[in-house]
Amino acid sequence: MRTLSLAARRLAFVAALLLLWEALTGGFGTPAVLDPIIVARPSAALRELARYSDSGLLVKDVTATLEAATIGLLLGIAGGVLFGLVLGYARPVAETVEPVLVAFNSLPRIALAPVLIIAFGLGIASKVFLALFTVFFVIFFNTYLGIRSVDPELVKALRVMGAGRWQLARYVVLPSVFAWIFAALRTSVSFALSGAVVGEFVGSTQGLGYRMVISAGVLDTNRTYAILLLLMTIAVILVEVAKRVEDRLLRWRPAAQLIT
Amino acid sequence: MRISIEGVGIVFRKGVRVLDGISIDVASGDFVALLGPSGCGKSTLLNAVAGLLDPAECSVEGRIALDGGRSSARRLGYVFQRDTLLPWRTLEENIHVGMEIHGMPTARRQQRTVELIALVGLQGFERYYPHQVSGGMRQRVQLVRTLAYEPEAILMDEPFGALDAQNRMLLQAELLRMWDRRRTTIVFVTHDLAEAITLAQRVVVLSKRPGRVKRVFDIPLPSPRDPFELRASRQFAELETRIWAELRDEFRVAPA
Repeated sequence: MRTLSLAARRLAFVAALLLLWEALTGGFGTPAVLDPIIVARPSAALRELARYSDSGLLVKDVTATLEAATIGLLLGIAGGVLFGLVLGYARPVAETVEPVLVAFNSLPRIALAPVLIIAFGLGIASKVFLALFTVFFVIFFNTYLGIRSVDPELVKALRVMGAGRWQLARYVVLPSVFAWIFAALRTSVSFALSGAVVGEFVGSTQGLGYRMVISAGVLDTNRTYAILLLLMTIAVILVEVAKRVEDRLLRWRPAAQLIT
Repeated sequence: MRISIEGVGIVFRKGVRVLDGISIDVASGDFVALLGPSGCGKSTLLNAVAGLLDPAECSVEGRIALDGGRSSARRLGYVFQRDTLLPWRTLEENIHVGMEIHGMPTARRQQRTVELIALVGLQGFERYYPHQVSGGMRQRVQLVRTLAYEPEAILMDEPFGALDAQNRMLLQAELLRMWDRRRTTIVFVTHDLAEAITLAQRVVVLSKRPGRVKRVFDIPLPSPRDPFELRASRQFAELETRIWAELRDEFRVAPA
């Protein structure tokens, strides 16, 4: 055991979980502790995934979901940074609107889905908006708090050097705000994905969320689980990419400060 | 740069008077140490000279003139006790900051950085981030970052206070070498008597709060000075005894 690398141990653990799951659902001729109608067998789910792929729907659904999530993510980041910067500098305005922003931030953003469907219909727009809103608040609050928590000593040090207002923004404020934004990147990526999927749950004509709800509705457990596993894989890959980007951009930070 | 402090008193808004009637004239090229117990307002005085005091928090009496004019517009350097390097910039890029602010051309910037890195023996560490190097190394970078843009006067607020004894002496030696070469005006705040004598041409002893100028001592030790040798000399010991006699009372806690 001690000679195995971390990656190997982790892989073995996942394999063991899958085998246990397969056994509990009556694979390998074992008695089915869990009814395969309620909990799909992993092997059956994987076979279903292949069928789903062969039908051509998989690519279409994945594309639809990722498209909505990506557009929502990018717009959410852009909007969050912009508003965060503006309100971070315009303190009186920020103080005025703060309660409303806090209220929106406290609202489970997913609850906006029905409202957005009414406003933007069953197409991609409503999913983009849901992803956008979920991301926006995370990025906005990080930007806003980032501006407020700029180290006053650094500002002082640069002012003595003769830095003007714009130079202070460029040398101190923006870099420290970006640190806060980058740190929220991973969360934003997984939020955008949930936004898109939940939007599809509530009302859509395509996408992974839509396909999942349809399958569950007709008790097609295998396909529901197949999509669930697919979503999990996509999320893991996206978050890993976000983590790499984040680590690269924040490589100047002491390791202890990085939340892993 | 000549720094004249005339009858300066500072009272914080809460009614606490930290400085009272301070007059110090720092000639161009002079190296003056402000020595006093903690809380006597040494750092506040330095901040006043640098124009860093928040007028909403304190009122300033008297007049501070840099080369006869008001502060802020002049080129000042300030070395803080706390590390104020930009954590997202490498050591090299940190040295660039002041030069960028003052619009020095890139080629000149790079050339100067190479010289300054060599001056404090940090070759090989140019691309390191501040958190990757020791406190002593960071403090060296703070020092040369300030020298880099050639300020006409440098204010130093216990810059070696957080360092261990060995690093402290090494940096004192480096500072003395730089001052011998450039003769930039330096005002150096410290509560360490030996440090004040080692570095300064003049030592201004401040009383405990509210800080007043108690006495000014000339330090006639010859230049160039070697901090490691200096401490063993008889002259150093004599100066230490004389100044300590003046300082002793100020370090005592006042009876309640």
